[in-house]
Amino acid sequence: MRRKVVTIVCAVLAVICLASGGMHLSCSQGRGEIRVKGVFIEGQSGGDAETLNWILAADATSFSYVGHTLDSLAVYDNNFNIQLRCLAKDIEVSPDGLVYTITIRDDLRWSDGSPVTAEDYVYTLKNLMFSDWLNYPYKGDWQEEVNGEKVFVTPEVVNQTTFTITRKTVYPEFIYTLYDLTPYPKYIAQKYEGDAKAFTQAPEFNNLSYTGNLGPYRFKEWNRNDRFVVERNPDYYLGKDVGAPYFEQYIIKLFGTSATRQAALEAGDITYSAIEPEQVAKFKGLPDIKVYTVPTRGYTILAYNQRANGWERLRHKEVRQALSMAISKHAIAQNILLGFAEPAFSFIPKVSPWYTEEGVMKYGVDELHDKQKAAEILYQLGYGIKQADGTIKVTDKDGKLLQLVLVVNVGSKPAEDMAFFIRKELLSLGIETEIKLVPWPTLLRQYVMNAVPGSKQEPAYNNGPDAVSQEKWDLILMGFGTDPLAPSGSHVFFASDGGLNFMGYSNPQVDELFARARSKEALDKEARKKIYAELSRLLSEEQPVNFLAFHRANYGFRKNVMGIEPGVNMGYNYHLWYFE
Amino acid sequence: MRKSWLRDYIIKRLLYSIVIAWGILTITFILVRVGPSSPADKYLANLAAKGHDPAQVIAAIEARYGLDKPILQQYGEYMLNLLQGNWGWSLSTSMPVMELIKRHWIYSFQLILLSSLFAAVLGILIGIYSAVRQYTKTDYAFTFLSFIGISIPNFWLGVMLILIFSVKLGIFKTYYDTTLPLFSLANLKALVLPVITLGTGMLAAYVRYTRSAMLENLRKPFVVTARAKGLPEHVVIGKHVFRNALLPLVTIIMFDLGSIVFGGAYLTEIVFGIPGLGQVSFNAIFANDYPVVVAITLIGTLVVLLVNLTTDIIYTYLDPRIRYD
Repeated sequence: MRRKVVTIVCAVLAVICLASGGMHLSCSQGRGEIRVKGVFIEGQSGGDAETLNWILAADATSFSYVGHTLDSLAVYDNNFNIQLRCLAKDIEVSPDGLVYTITIRDDLRWSDGSPVTAEDYVYTLKNLMFSDWLNYPYKGDWQEEVNGEKVFVTPEVVNQTTFTITRKTVYPEFIYTLYDLTPYPKYIAQKYEGDAKAFTQAPEFNNLSYTGNLGPYRFKEWNRNDRFVVERNPDYYLGKDVGAPYFEQYIIKLFGTSATRQAALEAGDITYSAIEPEQVAKFKGLPDIKVYTVPTRGYTILAYNQRANGWERLRHKEVRQALSMAISKHAIAQNILLGFAEPAFSFIPKVSPWYTEEGVMKYGVDELHDKQKAAEILYQLGYGIKQADGTIKVTDKDGKLLQLVLVVNVGSKPAEDMAFFIRKELLSLGIETEIKLVPWPTLLRQYVMNAVPGSKQEPAYNNGPDAVSQEKWDLILMGFGTDPLAPSGSHVFFASDGGLNFMGYSNPQVDELFARARSKEALDKEARKKIYAELSRLLSEEQPVNFLAFHRANYGFRKNVMGIEPGVNMGYNYHLWYFE
Repeated sequence: MRKSWLRDYIIKRLLYSIVIAWGILTITFILVRVGPSSPADKYLANLAAKGHDPAQVIAAIEARYGLDKPILQQYGEYMLNLLQGNWGWSLSTSMPVMELIKRHWIYSFQLILLSSLFAAVLGILIGIYSAVRQYTKTDYAFTFLSFIGISIPNFWLGVMLILIFSVKLGIFKTYYDTTLPLFSLANLKALVLPVITLGTGMLAAYVRYTRSAMLENLRKPFVVTARAKGLPEHVVIGKHVFRNALLPLVTIIMFDLGSIVFGGAYLTEIVFGIPGLGQVSFNAIFANDYPVVVAITLIGTLVVLLVNLTTDIIYTYLDPRIRYD
């Protein structure tokens, strides 16, 4: 649930409490010397959370706030090793891949002292998340298609600390959805059952007053658009042996701009903040700040419109390959993204255990960054003229200037810079590109969402192959993200019926591979690896989008913060951080 | 006698204000609900990513908030609740709208009040000085600085003030600390940079308006008469000339007061992290948080109406010849 939201919203540092099992060297050495002290202030910009009643939330910020007070079943460290949280042991999967057995710890307690039981988890699923009266938006995560119908998975209590979830169809990556699960207390939720309004306004759920020892912190205060404050939970189930967490309070302070947020870090008014790429060098030079650069799961793409209202040749992969060949990814990564990115060639990030470069076509770098070759390809397809000096100028079929429309979200300087760079690269082929800088909601509504002309369809992100967007476009620059552990989630972008396949890309082979990645065959990890390798190869060759760059993020901490392990899941052990 | 016609005028205006406020409330209520956006829009991308049917989920979410009922029914329920003091539930902040406004109005109010006082007092004093010392070096200097003050974007000014006085010099905190007691020196200190940011543009404008109004009245025959009567210069300027110049100034100052809440104050709130009504309103608009949008519009309307009425009343004291019949 929470991970799915983060997949969509690129590069969000989900500060989710993790407890180590005390296995880190820094924990075992001198752990008893660490004193609880200080207030850790995290600076954030980009909007406040919507609600602490997480079952109603749509934004990643809400989940991240709640995550300070409520652990999920498990999380991952920077190497994607499982770190158990509320689980007593890892989830057991039956050999046929249909039954998941979940055993939770027996020392979890709600705020009233009563134990957290399997019944709470099953109740949360069956009576809340699957219910019609609450209309949990993401109940689809818990549904499967059986004989053309959508049915819910079946949770069942086995005993006080064990429950099962039974599926009718195999989906090997369903386990990652399970790891994210957090419960509501049945004894409180029952009071509001059936009454959506009362549940929405329930003070216990809006003030997180039930969380007990389930998180390293307890809710203290939330001043909208200002600060979210949690205080140390001395009863934290994972912290009691080592005395964690080590901050008296953890505060998320909201800033309206990245400039003021970074100024606060520099001045010492906050403890930690993300740092914009152009500020990294400056912060690295400051004596009181340490800067970490970490990989993310986000990447930027240049989408090619393969629907009827784009340049019709974009439906041909050779044309897409030629355009991708003309754009230098090294230049984007080094010059525009200031070195805090690396060229991308497919949809799986380098940090993913499923990543491979074998067979992947690397358009935009080395020998596949060749403008002459790109022009030659387009010329051979009838889109160009040979000039007197022998060079090729790309034109439309009638020999006239070829003009494309590139749409990008206004307000992001790197995105705007990338757009202008791409225009320059395409101009060297003779292609004129009109750049449209539009606000994000406009980009979504007028360019991304589509409907069949003349129909009564409500616009959606993929209304079928005949649907077109309200406005014409050829190229869109935007950010995507891939779950490193469950890349099959990216079928939404590249499968023919993918919910976010706004480009209108369709390839039965790709559809089949994604289906296999989500089938029984993929229970075997070696088989899954091969499927992903083939998907990476095929998509790199097909170029439904030009995979431009995988991003790296930069974070600054005050120098006295210890225990940080930089990586893609950097916050996983944040309950063990401390002030020197 | 003066009191009776003024009292009648005030009552009439208050009644008109109620009608106007109700009209604007109704228009806003209808507009936000018939627009293409929906509070459920925030789920769209995530739902599509999971391959779910957005239309079905959006319908369910709108039903949760009662947005699926006929608009007249929604309107009736809203008005009934409003009369009982229930302004609804904020969809984007998950709290009662009344509670949201109660918690956040004070941040905007103190910022606007102090900025306006700063701008008005200083602006008027400098404007008077400039007019009396017309064409001197000081006048030219103030004129030049006024044009700079009017031209500087307050967003940029705020960031610059933070970088210089907070980061480099460490005199002030980089953001407004809401934990400080409201009536304390620490809170006043925390507001120095935001007040300067918001007030600079207004200050510069008031300098120009005051100077202009003073110059216009300094040339009038009554000034000659006052001087001929032997009145001290400070009485001529302060009591006679300034009083006449005050009328247009009051209009401008009161107009700024009415419009600043959801306009200029917003940018200052953003820069300094002040969680005032400016931020609340803009966030509500982008989140399609209908109850908050309607409530904020109502508050804005009432503020403007009250400010206009206050301005009209002040006129009658500044110029006893003014009468509203």
